[in-house]
Amino acid sequence: MTDHLSPSVLDALADGELSGQQHAEANEHLSRCSACTGNALQLSLLKSATAKAGRRYAPPPHLQERLMRLAAEERVRPEPPHSAAKSAPSGGFSGWFGMLGWAAAAVLLLAFAATTFVQRNGRRTDIASAQNAALVNEVFDQHVATLAANLPPQVLSTDRHTVKPWFQGKIPFSFNLPENLPKDTMLEGANLTYLNDRPVAQLLYNIGRHRVSVFVRQKPSAPAAEFQAGHAGFHVMVFSTDDLEMAAVSDVDPARLAELINLIRRAQT
Amino acid sequence: MTLLSWKRAALESVPQTSVFEELALPFLPALYNVAFWLSRNPVDAEDLVQETILKALRGFSSFEPGSNFKAWIFRILRNTYLTSRTGLAAKRTVALEDELGDQDEAGAAVYPEAAIERETPEMNLIRLSDRAALQSAMEALPAPLLEVILLCDVEEMKYREISAVLEIPIGTVMSRIARARATLRQALLSNATPIREFRA
Repeated sequence: MTDHLSPSVLDALADGELSGQQHAEANEHLSRCSACTGNALQLSLLKSATAKAGRRYAPPPHLQERLMRLAAEERVRPEPPHSAAKSAPSGGFSGWFGMLGWAAAAVLLLAFAATTFVQRNGRRTDIASAQNAALVNEVFDQHVATLAANLPPQVLSTDRHTVKPWFQGKIPFSFNLPENLPKDTMLEGANLTYLNDRPVAQLLYNIGRHRVSVFVRQKPSAPAAEFQAGHAGFHVMVFSTDDLEMAAVSDVDPARLAELINLIRRAQT
Repeated sequence: MTLLSWKRAALESVPQTSVFEELALPFLPALYNVAFWLSRNPVDAEDLVQETILKALRGFSSFEPGSNFKAWIFRILRNTYLTSRTGLAAKRTVALEDELGDQDEAGAAVYPEAAIERETPEMNLIRLSDRAALQSAMEALPAPLLEVILLCDVEEMKYREISAVLEIPIGTVMSRIARARATLRQALLSNATPIREFRA
């Protein structure tokens, strides 16, 4: 090794990524090259200084408590009753003690079954609300990002016959757009975007000066129940038809948003 | 006595803490730290971590026991970040490799010569000890360089783990690490913000 060590070798050396052979060769070079030794030392110092400077933010105590509570709600279910029964002593007592043991087992089994039923229902509710919260976050983020970008839609339109055909071949489903919109409501255009890694049509409406995003996607196998939510001053309404699931988000009056949703819903039938 | 021991045995069979909690909670400080660096504010960092934990909880059945939990949960964090407001803004940045045009086809890094100095000025070592200057330099890094340096230097992940978290080839990981360090060094040398903005 007559040349200096390459930058990639120096980085890999600092990061402990060299193989045994490469490490030996690098060390052999460093033993007779002060320039590379200096560079290796600097990279090593930079790495450790970055590590220290990078450990900067500690989570607030309330976050840990909140997450532990969430995790506790999702805690793994107790062992099924048959395995609990296995742990019961199998002999050494009879008569009343034996009967008492079985009676206790029966009581525990019933209690376990009841607890499991309640917990499962609760868990289903928790999961559904977590999924709803995630959906609200995603559509809200996308809507805000669209507003912040302040770019024209990918397909511009004042006519539903321009927007719908534009999605042909871009999304694996089709949808209808309402023909007659209220007086101050206008279809501005649409974007092709993604929610949970799946293609989604983002329809962009204006209601007065308020902008509205309506995300249209193929109905998932486990669709969300229809719901409404508020998020940072915006309203999110999730609704579905036979084949589609849609989420509308805007800061417009919720009644006006609901009016638009009803029109879109009716257009699908 | 018999009944009591029976009950005790039944109770002992109920896990007091879940496997998920045992695996995930130790990473909470690291997740929050990286989330804060990426989102640049405490509220978004909390939201990002909470959403990550919820997603990880829901998808925990897909986690293969014995595989790399840290890489798995950081990948969820990173994907969650990408769909967040700040992440969406970062998504719109020009692809780093395209912008710099300094990576070959195979993904091997072609380093700017300035990344490595052939001299070791003492001043550099002094500046390295200035934590505030280094933090400022890190704050000015573009997101693709910041995340790679956080995973490599702060989280001490191996290149292949970083490659899995960021879903990029190892050659790109190496290239970004080199660029991140070169940018940090130049920022420390000039005592100014890094040289280039990558935003479109």
